[in-house]
Amino acid sequence: MTEIANPYGKVALYPGCALDGLGKSYDVSLQLVAKDLGINYEKIEDYNCCGALEVKNVNTMAGLLLPARNLSLARQMGANAVMSACPGCHYSLSRTQYFMTRYPKLREKVNSYLEKMGEKQYDMQLLMIHAVEFVYNTVGPEGVKARVKRPLTGLKVAPYYGCLYSRPKAYTLTGYMKMKDDPERPVFMDELLKALGAEVVPFESKTMCCGGPHVYSDVNTSLHLEARILKDAKRNGAELLITDCPLGHVAIETNMNKIAEKYGQDLRMPLVYFSQLLAFAFGHSPDEALLTANMTNPMSVLKRYL
Amino acid sequence: MPIPNLEKPIIKGLIQKDKVIVDGVELDGTWNAFMIERTQTGYDQSVWDEIANTVEGATISLCWQCGTCTSGCTMREYDPNYSPRRFIDLARKGDKQSLVELQDSIWRCVSCQKCTHRCPKGVLVEEVVHSIHNYLLKHGLVKTDPGTVFDELFLETVMKNGGRISELLLGGASAKAGFVTMSIRDLITMMGPLMKSGLIKDLMKPSRVKEWDRIKPVLEEAMKEEVVPQ
Repeated sequence: MTEIANPYGKVALYPGCALDGLGKSYDVSLQLVAKDLGINYEKIEDYNCCGALEVKNVNTMAGLLLPARNLSLARQMGANAVMSACPGCHYSLSRTQYFMTRYPKLREKVNSYLEKMGEKQYDMQLLMIHAVEFVYNTVGPEGVKARVKRPLTGLKVAPYYGCLYSRPKAYTLTGYMKMKDDPERPVFMDELLKALGAEVVPFESKTMCCGGPHVYSDVNTSLHLEARILKDAKRNGAELLITDCPLGHVAIETNMNKIAEKYGQDLRMPLVYFSQLLAFAFGHSPDEALLTANMTNPMSVLKRYL
Repeated sequence: MPIPNLEKPIIKGLIQKDKVIVDGVELDGTWNAFMIERTQTGYDQSVWDEIANTVEGATISLCWQCGTCTSGCTMREYDPNYSPRRFIDLARKGDKQSLVELQDSIWRCVSCQKCTHRCPKGVLVEEVVHSIHNYLLKHGLVKTDPGTVFDELFLETVMKNGGRISELLLGGASAKAGFVTMSIRDLITMMGPLMKSGLIKDLMKPSRVKEWDRIKPVLEEAMKEEVVPQ
């Protein structure tokens, strides 16, 4: 397919640790989707951890310097935008940009440490975007619809965006010039899923937190929050929970047994990354989209479309 | 006159038909009750100053105490003592004692950012709450909580494992620290995907930043630096 000019210029993917770890099926399927749609991005090589939500609480400088090094690497590739597939990374990178913009002396300090590391100073010229926004703003629902080979008619899905996809607007710029999703009621993923022929059920927990950062340290609260997300999706008749956040995805999948034991076996539901569902609808086999590598076995629902 | 029930708990002793001398003037009358002194002394202004002088806490001064942060807060539903608005109020008053009394709640923020997002005054509420918590930790006023233990473990894992982390590495480190409990069933559920996606190889040999040995000392040096919002 011919290459599509995208509104961002050159896009660099910040894979983050998730996409090289348990979120591998997200990574692989996103590559398939981008190739099918003719949109390009390039991975940042030799990136480091963005510090997620934890490092910033322990040390201010480390919480800024870790993401800043990745931004510097992206600029060295000549990128204009950095795409993250993980809302946590998206948040971390945007947060650094925010603080570096706000405090010039702090920016100088961060930059001087970057130079000591052997990297270039970060020139603040990047736009942070999320993978859902990237697909939506480059090809849009029409572009997606045109590629569908396996319409998912009658499939009921609940799109779970998670908390950091759109929040806080001060960092992520949500609502900005229609390029960014609505901060309170995001719709980009809904539109993309509808383009596949799937039915998007009403879903109150779209942007509710799964308790990810405290999944280990405050496990009961996490289980409760996750159970509520699944309960809302189930009540509205969803067969699949569609995710765009590897942290939320992995947290809910690994806790599924515990949630089912505590809150009822009927809460069990398969989880799929939005890019996996796109790749499946574009005609890729379950193995290619790594759908068979999900812990909750979405093929039990999707096999009727094979 | 009988004392109203509502006032009983705040009344200190009963003095009846007593002579009172105020400023050398003898007053005539009947005094039924004296209220417990309810003004509090010993507020510490330096709490506010110190928090406002951190990058995270700088916006504490903008707060109008409207409560929008707390009304939408995720944690509040699970812990009625959790209240960003109150944490900010107490920190600004310098009421350390009340903050310390809330120590089992203050660490429980799940960083969902609803508060920061919705604040009409531009307070970075989530950051400010973490800054208040860090103040209490730094001055040894509160015990180390599970959230902080995990955050420190996370940073330690990043530093040790070549600048990167994975759920698997972190899971392993957390299990060692006694955080994670996994049943045989959980492990079986996890093994399938690990084999199928080829992740089992990464588990054995996790990827690292190439020149980590050169970067790590710079990071360690930077971490010692005092950062102020300028």
